[in-house]
Amino acid sequence: MLELEQINHLALTGSLMQQMSVYLVIAYLLSKTPLFAPLMQVTVRLPDKLVCYFVFSGFCIMGTYFGFQIEGAIANTRAIGAVLGGILGGPVVGFAVGLTGGLHRYSLGGFTDLACAVSTTAEGVIGGCLHFYLMRRHRADRLLNPMTALFATLFAEAMQMLIILLIAKPFDDASRLVAHIALPMILTNSLGAALFMRLILDRRETMEKYSIAFSAKALRIAERSVGVLMQGFNEHNCTRMASIIQEETGVGAVAITDCEKLLGFVGVGADHHLTGTPISSTHTFYAIANNEVVYADGADISYTCSVSKDCKLSSCLVIPLRGEGNRVFGTIKLYEPKRKFFSTLNRTLGEGIARLLSNQVLAGTIEEQKQLLAQSEIKLLQAQINPHFLFNALNTLAAVIRRDPEEARQIVQYLSTFFRKSLKRVSNDASLNDEIEHVNAYLHIELARFAGRLDIKMAVPEDLLPLQLPAFTLQPIVENAIKYGISQMIEPGTVTISAQRKDAVLTIVVEDSAGLYQPQPDNDGLGMNLVDRRIKIRYGAAYGIEVTCEPECWTRVAIRLPVEKELVPC
Amino acid sequence: MLNALIIDDEVPSREELKALLASAPDVDVVGECANAIEGLSAIHRLRPDVVFLDIQMPRVSGLEMVGMIEPSSLPHIVFVTAYDEHALKAFEEHAADYLLKPIDPQRLAKTLDWLRAGARPSGNPFPGTDSVLRHIPCIALNRIFLIALDEIEYIHTDVSGVQVVSTSKQGVTELTLKIIQERTPFIRCHRQYLVNLNQIAEIELQDNGAAEIVTHSGKRVPVSRRHLREIKDKLLIS
Repeated sequence: MLELEQINHLALTGSLMQQMSVYLVIAYLLSKTPLFAPLMQVTVRLPDKLVCYFVFSGFCIMGTYFGFQIEGAIANTRAIGAVLGGILGGPVVGFAVGLTGGLHRYSLGGFTDLACAVSTTAEGVIGGCLHFYLMRRHRADRLLNPMTALFATLFAEAMQMLIILLIAKPFDDASRLVAHIALPMILTNSLGAALFMRLILDRRETMEKYSIAFSAKALRIAERSVGVLMQGFNEHNCTRMASIIQEETGVGAVAITDCEKLLGFVGVGADHHLTGTPISSTHTFYAIANNEVVYADGADISYTCSVSKDCKLSSCLVIPLRGEGNRVFGTIKLYEPKRKFFSTLNRTLGEGIARLLSNQVLAGTIEEQKQLLAQSEIKLLQAQINPHFLFNALNTLAAVIRRDPEEARQIVQYLSTFFRKSLKRVSNDASLNDEIEHVNAYLHIELARFAGRLDIKMAVPEDLLPLQLPAFTLQPIVENAIKYGISQMIEPGTVTISAQRKDAVLTIVVEDSAGLYQPQPDNDGLGMNLVDRRIKIRYGAAYGIEVTCEPECWTRVAIRLPVEKELVPC
Repeated sequence: MLNALIIDDEVPSREELKALLASAPDVDVVGECANAIEGLSAIHRLRPDVVFLDIQMPRVSGLEMVGMIEPSSLPHIVFVTAYDEHALKAFEEHAADYLLKPIDPQRLAKTLDWLRAGARPSGNPFPGTDSVLRHIPCIALNRIFLIALDEIEYIHTDVSGVQVVSTSKQGVTELTLKIIQERTPFIRCHRQYLVNLNQIAEIELQDNGAAEIVTHSGKRVPVSRRHLREIKDKLLIS
């Protein structure tokens, strides 16, 4: 224990400064840990406040331990923790930190124990009040300022001295003590608090620089790659994309694959990683199969090129590209050559890039589907006015006028119904009832035309009639049944139209008794294929048209549709 | 007097054309057919001067039908169609006569004028007459049916007509051996026989220089000495 007379102000200031240096080194080391992250801003959230409390209580206690025992008192740097805890965490945290530090000090005894306990708590509260005050005045920026910390601590320490004088007994000892330690402690603590705050700010700036660099890179990649993959997920676009990513991230090499083969490779090893070749890396297979990011750092998880022994690449990050329903449709791979490590920046960025790519491809698919839908609908519109049908109908009419003007009048009526319904917008929905009426008008004209060679059977339950479906779905199918079925029969034939509903699926079946169906893949001219494609784009692959055929007996076309909404029958 | 035959699968179409032709006193409608197969036999039987022929007909189109008739016995053909871009283009190229449905009476009158003036087929081959047949229309037991070329084993003539023999079916056709030989890859193996080379299982050579073909289903087809050489060449047997 030191005698007061043995020390002078200068020596004590020096010692306290030394102590504070150790204290700050520890603070510096701690600042490298994630524990510090919540301290880098003015905390509002409860978990952050808890972290704040624990960290600064720790510093408070540490300050006490590092102190010098001077005649039953301790010259220390405890105030830093208490004041900063209050400044960053607010009055409650400040009070709690101060109380914790104070109680700890109290437990160590000495004639200033109570005085120190009270004053430390008060210091915490002072920091907290400052926090409260500045927040109220919306000057949060002033909180994270070394000068604020300096003056707050200066004030708090001055007050501590007053409290010691007031509380510690005997007063003579207290006044002697204060006379000796007041100046060194006020100076050291203020300076320490300021430096501690500086440390926090530095750490924060580093983090900001990192995230600025990250955002800048990410933004540049996003900007340069706009729309590249929307034009299609193919070798050409993937190679372009890979080269953008490689240039921006500066990694050794970048590859983009689908689930089977390499679509683009740019960078080190491009001589043997050839686009179009099948995937051979086990990491990639794993990433695809498990929908997981695979990071083969070359140390814990070894990475060796699966194509060539001489490959210079030694670490690899494989990130799955996810499309609709989180389904993997490919991967993006970042590589680094030997003796170069993946920067954390690039690792994090990699996942962001994967998301960007996935979204682009998805947007591209949606765009493509929209276009396909538009195309199908335009073609359907053209198919609505089938000149072959029109002229044959007129020819039939010419003959019927001669024979039976009343029947001819009816045919004219059907013809106008048919065209009125046909001229409706293809992109709209119609009720099954509308569709049946359309088909009915069409069939009545065909009945007159094929006189006796055509028989119609209609078996659509009443309760299904209000169901909604895309307009112009049924007529092209019925027209096909006539055109490629009945009209090709030498004997008379029958067209049967039926419908049934099972849960949320409506199935309409058009059957002809010809059985002459010949599959014609990708024939856009066929109304049936257009109808099928439109349904699939709208509702997915589970719906659409299914054709079955018993040659020379029947052809059955089933239209599967989801039951979306029902019109309430009135 | 012009003898006319109408071949159209649609009743109202035939009615209308008949009504229009009725106003021409020198035209006699000698027959009506509802499909090309009936049409073929009617042409052979009735020998009309003019045939009004619909293009869109079940199974065998009007154009295909023309290809099934020997050019020498072909009457004057007037194609009738409602709407058929491809066919119209072909008609223009071949200078064929055609009418559009619904038929304009004045346009029909013009065609009849040409016919009265003695217009004969232009000499140009008709559209469709150079195409390869896909199937042979047959009649058996009052039923009309088509036999696909690759199903046919052989075709021969006998007193009842031209017989088409396939693995599972047999029928009589209106087509002549000559036309079939021209429009199909079948080979003449005998004066009265055509054979489908793809159906040959083996050829049994005989002492007299002739031979007999055994088809995959075990049917036997005679090969005359005259035609053996040709068959051997086709099969690359020396």
